[in-house]
This record gives sequence, structure tokens and C-alpha cells, in this order.
Amino acid sequence: MSTGALLAAALPVLAVGALMCSLPAVTRPILQFGVRVPPERAEAPVIRRERRAYYWRTAAIGAGFALVAVTVQGHCPSWVPRVILVPELAAGLGCFWVARRKIAAVKNADSWFAGLRQTVVADTTWRTDPPRFPVRWLMPALAVMAATAAVGALRYPGLPAHIVTGSGHRVPKSAVLALVVAGQLYFTAVYSGLMLIVHHSRPDIEAADPAASTLRYRRFLAAFSRALLTMAALIDASLLLIALPDWQVYRLSGIGRALPVLPFAAGVLLLGAVAARTGQGGSRLNGNVHGLAPPAGIDRDDDRFWKAGLLYVNRDDPALVVGARFGVGWAPNFGNRAAWLLVAGTVAAWAGLALLGAAAGM
Amino acid sequence: MLLSIEPDGPVPIYQQIRDRIVEAIARGRQPAGSALPPIRQLAVDLGVNFHTVNKGYDLLRQEGLLRLGRKSGAVVRRDAGSGPPDPGWTQDWTGRLRTLLAEAAAQGMSATDIVAECEAAIADFAFPAVAAEA
Repeated sequence: MSTGALLAAALPVLAVGALMCSLPAVTRPILQFGVRVPPERAEAPVIRRERRAYYWRTAAIGAGFALVAVTVQGHCPSWVPRVILVPELAAGLGCFWVARRKIAAVKNADSWFAGLRQTVVADTTWRTDPPRFPVRWLMPALAVMAATAAVGALRYPGLPAHIVTGSGHRVPKSAVLALVVAGQLYFTAVYSGLMLIVHHSRPDIEAADPAASTLRYRRFLAAFSRALLTMAALIDASLLLIALPDWQVYRLSGIGRALPVLPFAAGVLLLGAVAARTGQGGSRLNGNVHGLAPPAGIDRDDDRFWKAGLLYVNRDDPALVVGARFGVGWAPNFGNRAAWLLVAGTVAAWAGLALLGAAAGM
Repeated sequence: MLLSIEPDGPVPIYQQIRDRIVEAIARGRQPAGSALPPIRQLAVDLGVNFHTVNKGYDLLRQEGLLRLGRKSGAVVRRDAGSGPPDPGWTQDWTGRLRTLLAEAAAQGMSATDIVAECEAAIADFAFPAVAAEA
């Protein structure tokens, strides 16, 4: 068994384990495992205990599944290492729910929000002076797509009707072209579309520190948009690098076959670094920017709108997406029909892409 | 302008939206001619129904504080520097003020405390006379 193959089996599992383990650290202190808590309760004993337990549990799960992935590598059908991430994620989700249940039980028993002034804050400057979508950062992705089209147009006529892909499958040459073009279109459209929607959605404003949190959210949105659009360009580059050997531009062997993975891995690292630096909604940015405006109370206890602590369902809220409850990102509002259409469209396109990938032998 | 509401409070949300905007105008944070967010966008930002925001804006329009246009959107029409209000409005406001003072008196608040509260509120708002004195 080669070192490269073992690394290829273990790295994705370890990366997912590290991701799960780090999520509480980048989430706002007032949102503990999907449970909203008053700022003065953010360090309550039950929260500290559950955070510590979650770190240990997810670290053990990551290490355990990595060991399994390395052990089964080469002894099981090729699809086993691919699906091992599913039970790993499920186990991580289980750890999240255990912590959530215990914190929510103490919160409800001790009535943490009783007698507190719960508010929702909007900053009208978010609409009168809205953040701008960083169009220029879309250019690298478009440039890679243009380069792919140019290389494809040059190489395609000279290729035989059927080509043998890197995985050894014999497929029509059009299948590879369709997969690469559709894949690049998909990732570029999904990432830029998501950021466009987010730019028109509401910012995550903390009632306890409204003006400063709006400022931090602006900086977070700018940094995360750029990182996500760069990620789209890097995924497009990975897809191009996958296609080039099939289009007989170059041949790779041994460890060199991992080349197409490198841009994608760089994108994941970049996104992870930005998320770690900014935190959820910019909560880790500029710790000294506080108190620009007096507190407007504390954030409203909205746990009832978050099903299982992760899915937002609020029919009275016209928002399409809202800030994620756990980790960095956004979640659709399943109380809004348009959000269902958005999710269904994204999943359908992904399914189409997977079918295309199967047709292209990947 | 930061606009905060208490969705689970006893005051209807549209009334809270109206009150917060009136306060922002009185403090000079939303001067005449300044724009407010469109109804749909403010509804998204507050996480409330469009009709709720529409009702709050409509109250302000009826009071002459807001102008709602298809192209211009919601624009503040009056502020502390826009001159004296209509005599009819003053008469109506005096009636409401008497009711408020009567409530305070009925609850046992002393005249000194009432005056102190009024002075604190006056100091907070951008009255033209106060600005001239400063």
C-alpha cells in the first residue's frame, strides 16, 4: 500500500473531523450548539462542560474514522472510502445534539431569558449604504472557465471519439467536456449566486452591541465573499486539471496524479483560514471595536424557529437566508417557499452533475 | 440609524417601528429628505411580515412625517427644522399629552418626577430652540 493512497484515504476524514471539532470555536458565544443564550450566561458551567466534551468526542471520532479509512483502504470496494464521511458526519451531528439537549435543558429549567428585554435590531444604513458585491473577485473564475473553453476548443477536434479517462474508463469525448464545463458553471454560479443573495439579506446584528457588530459583519461579508469566489476559481482550476490529461495535453503518474486536487485543497484551506479569522458573522474580528452605540437589549430567544438546532423555519420571516446557527455561513429559511425552490434547484443541479460524472466515468 | 423592536413585547410591532422612526427624526438622525429602507427590505432586516412594516410606514405618512413614492421610496418629509406643525396636529397632540400626564398622575407620579422625565426627553431630542441655545 503506497503512502499516497493512505494519505488520500485519511486526509479527507481528518479534515472533516477537524472541521467538526473547530465549529464551536468560530460560533458566536451567545449561540451555543444551536441554543441562544444571554451574553452573561455564555460561560455557564453546563456550556463549558459540554464544549469540552464535544471537543473530545469529535476529536476521537475524527481519529477513529481516519484509522478505519486507512485500514479498509485497498481491502474493500472502491466506494467504501468515499462514503465513510457520511457516518463520520452523522456521529459529529450526534455530538452536537447531545450538547444542545443538555444546554437547552438547563436554560429552560433556570429560565435564562426570564425578565430580560429581548429585541431585534436593524441597521438602516445596511440598505441606504449597502455592501457591494465584489464583482472583480469573480474574474479569476471566469478566466479559468475561458481558459478551459479555449483549451477544449483546441484539443477537442483532434481527439478520438472515445477517450480513456484517468480512472481507466472508456467514455465519449463529449462526456468529459460536458462534465468540466457544467461543473465549472455550477460551482461559479452557486458560489456567486449565494453571495449575491447574502448581500441582499439581513446582517447578523447583536442587540447587545449593534453598531459594532454591523461593522464587523460588513468586514466579514467582504472577506468571506472574496474567499468564496476565489474558492470557485480554484475548483474550476481543479476541474480543468482533471480534464487536461483526458484531453491528452499532458500525462501524470505516481504522486503527480494528485495535482488536480491541489487547487481545491488550497481553496478549502483559504476558506477555513478566513472562517477562523473572522468567526461567525465577523464575531472574532476587531475585538477592540465595541460600544459604538448603546446596547438595545439582548437578542431575542429564537430557538423555537431552529428545528434540531440547525434548520431555520419561520413563516413570518420573509428572509430567504439567515446566518447559520452553528459554524460560519448561512442557512435557508425553510418557512419561505422561495428557499425551498433555491435548495431544490441547487440539489437538482448537483444530482445532474453527479449523473454527468458517472457518464464520464469519474 | 439603528432600529430596535421587541417582537414579543406588549406594543404592536408596527407601532414600535413607527415610534422608533419618530424618535430618530426627533434626535436628528433621520433629517428631512433622508431615505428609509424600502418596506420589503426593512421587513427582511427585522424578520417581520411586509404588511407590518407597511402599516408602520403608513402611520408615519398619515402623520405627515414620511413621503412614500414608487420611485423615491420612503423619504422623511419633516424634521425639527421644518417649521411649526399644523394647528390641528398641535391640538390633537395636546390632547394625547394630557392623557399621558393624567396616566402618570393617576399612577401616583409626582409633578417633579414628571417634569424631570420631560426635561430628560427634551434634552435628548434636537429641538430647534435647544440647538440655537447650545
